[in-house]
Amino acid sequence: MRPISYLFPVALVGIAMLLPHPAASQEFKPSKQIETVVHTGPGGGSDLFARAIAEMLQKEKLISQRMQVVNKSGGGPAVAMAYLAEKKGDTHTVGFYTGVWVTNPLTTVEATVTLKDLTPITRLVLEPAVIAVKADSPYKTVKDFIEAAKKNPKQLNQSGGTILSRDNLMRMLLQKATGAQWNFISFPSGGERLSNLLGGHVQMMVIEPQEAGEQIRAGNLRVIATLTEKRLASLPNVPTIKEQGIDVPLIPQARGMLLPPAAPKEVVAYWEGVFDAFVKTPTWKQYVDQNQFEDAYLKGAALNKFLDALKDQMREVLKEAGAKVIR
Amino acid sequence: MDALGNLLLGFSVALAPVNLFWCFVGVVLGTVVGVLPGLGPAATIAMLLPLTLKMDHTTAIITLAGIFYGARYGGSTTSILLNMPGESSSVATCLDGYQMARNGRAGAALGISAIASFIAGTVGVLGLMLISPPLARFALRFAPPEYFALMVLGLAMVVFLAGDSMVKALLALFVGLWLATIGTDLFTAESRFTFGQAKLLGGVDFIAATVGIFAVGEVLMNLQSRSGGEIIKLPRGLKNLLPTLQDLKDCRFAFVNGSLIGFFVGALPGAGATVASFLSYGLEKAVSRHPEKFGTGVIEGVAAPEGANNADAGGALVPLLTLGIPGGNTTAILLGGLILWGYKPGPLLIQEHPELFWGLVASMYVGNVLLLVLNLPLVPLFAQILRLPNYVLHPFIIGISVVGVYSVNNSLFDVWMMALFGLLGYLMRKLDFPAAALILGLVLGDVLERALRQSLMMSQGDLAIFVNRPISATLLAIAVVLLCLPALRWIRAWRADAVEREG
Repeated sequence: MRPISYLFPVALVGIAMLLPHPAASQEFKPSKQIETVVHTGPGGGSDLFARAIAEMLQKEKLISQRMQVVNKSGGGPAVAMAYLAEKKGDTHTVGFYTGVWVTNPLTTVEATVTLKDLTPITRLVLEPAVIAVKADSPYKTVKDFIEAAKKNPKQLNQSGGTILSRDNLMRMLLQKATGAQWNFISFPSGGERLSNLLGGHVQMMVIEPQEAGEQIRAGNLRVIATLTEKRLASLPNVPTIKEQGIDVPLIPQARGMLLPPAAPKEVVAYWEGVFDAFVKTPTWKQYVDQNQFEDAYLKGAALNKFLDALKDQMREVLKEAGAKVIR
Repeated sequence: MDALGNLLLGFSVALAPVNLFWCFVGVVLGTVVGVLPGLGPAATIAMLLPLTLKMDHTTAIITLAGIFYGARYGGSTTSILLNMPGESSSVATCLDGYQMARNGRAGAALGISAIASFIAGTVGVLGLMLISPPLARFALRFAPPEYFALMVLGLAMVVFLAGDSMVKALLALFVGLWLATIGTDLFTAESRFTFGQAKLLGGVDFIAATVGIFAVGEVLMNLQSRSGGEIIKLPRGLKNLLPTLQDLKDCRFAFVNGSLIGFFVGALPGAGATVASFLSYGLEKAVSRHPEKFGTGVIEGVAAPEGANNADAGGALVPLLTLGIPGGNTTAILLGGLILWGYKPGPLLIQEHPELFWGLVASMYVGNVLLLVLNLPLVPLFAQILRLPNYVLHPFIIGISVVGVYSVNNSLFDVWMMALFGLLGYLMRKLDFPAAALILGLVLGDVLERALRQSLMMSQGDLAIFVNRPISATLLAIAVVLLCLPALRWIRAWRADAVEREG
């Protein structure tokens, strides 16, 4: 492994010198390996996302140094966030965040670092979600499921992540909007959530379209609604939840990149330049399509506005969901 | 015939020089990362993923899978020689492996672990090849109640891990169960026993705890002995460094046990190799004719868990390749890799890309042979490490422990945890508490608690859910029988005693 990591920078610096520089690169340019912090272990969603971005940035020759992914898992994002906070002002450390970086500090006493303490640079994608049931289940629409849940309160089960996850927050919102009630069973890994749905032990799951895609194609799962504003290109026949007459706020699942606290202006400008160029490449477009993400590039003031609004929305939703909000 | 034709296709892929070369690279790398604690196969595969983009896709998965199952071979080496598990799946191997090394049978232990790994690894691939789709469907029947029953069965094994005192074993077990609850609670997202420490939100790191209790605790214990220069006796001559025919005979059942338990537990997305290795160790002890000797260095106690963690590698690929469902970290990365290479992992993968599946299967047969050929000659070499006098060996063990534990999460906090657990391990040895029982609690506690709460959420608090379901009822019944076995033995002993007195 090692020899490659020496070759890479050398080769890439050479190539990078021949290319037009990104906008602000005169002021700052990474001079060594960039430590890239994620909050999941190897193989987790954030880990795979960060590695894919790192790989694509190198392939497009937009960065001249290797991005080394470092897994700081534990307590949701708390350990990764605390680690980044310790790196205050460091110019060669970056992190990849998700929506849970917003919600976790709202409810966890130990999670003293908030997203606002760090320096968010971009929002890159929003992950859409759909409601899936087993293909041989009697529920053809959300209404069917809701009716069944009303008839047998707290008898149906939904599998998902923690109670702070989008899956459960969507359930709380749906229950509030319709008056139906069903159980939420937490599983630590996506594999267990899906296999419990496929095994018929739970009846419903909020799932990302990419994760469900092959199960739908093989005839194992049926999607009864998308939790999106518009129908998904990959599922043109599936109506959105609003089309089915249920008006609930949709919770965006965002992924993006940030820097440690007090990042110097020129470093911020450098990364904004890199991503400005990156989101225009076909490589990026193809990646977004392949994973059925929503291309949702934001930076600067617009990004801060989005994160503030998200925090306020999540605080309300969490309160409704019965979680103890402490910040 | 169909499978045979496909397998021939697979071998034509796997035996292509380039694939053979990369399979070799994969298994060598796997062995290396397996030997040392810390950097595991998941992190290694994640690091190498970008490099595989330039490879043929089948070659890429052959390489990465080689790392995955190769690491299981390597994991036993430090367990046996230094009482330091290289991977969490080789913790159970420490129990008898290290004692064998102390008895001068390090070579036999290392040898049998390579042979058991080979046999079980091959059985795992056979299973993957022949019964993947039906097994994957069967594994889907495992819901939380079944997992709970499986974990109870695992805990019942504590009866067999107990030394002289059942009370001490149970105490150690409960401390282990408690340690497993530290961190963020999955269901309520609240923190438990973190003492305000953000670094404890993720729970106690398993590697830090086991390396501390086993390796560091052992070193501390040895510091007490005045004979600083004493070395473990190691027979000379190659013949004495490998298992004997009698050893192989003794392990007949262990091979079967390890292969089957490892493969089936591996196919369950929520269990994992560590659970599999403890279950097969427990079963081996339960059916043994001399259970009291376990923990003092019996060779079956090495063969069973080592077999199980290798067969698990084959089992873990079942849900990944037939359903697109990863069971653990490493398979999740392989799934990420498949997507990155442009495949659509899911129920249709094998059908649409037979060359990928069959190439991989064939390469795993080849890889297992390579690993055996690679590992057996290394046995005498590795065993030489025990020739080092204690004043060299002990600092060496502490050094590797610190580096290994640090490299898991790049966290100095974990190193301090290891030191703390080292102290605990020392005290437990001193006071004669079985460390294995504590580790068992730590391994199984997490899944046990989770499965119990999930089950009760599904049943609205009705305990009948555990006995109304056939699989969970069966597993629980076996656990009850296991728990009653020692009682039966006592009764028999008491009756024999009574008869003697009367006669």
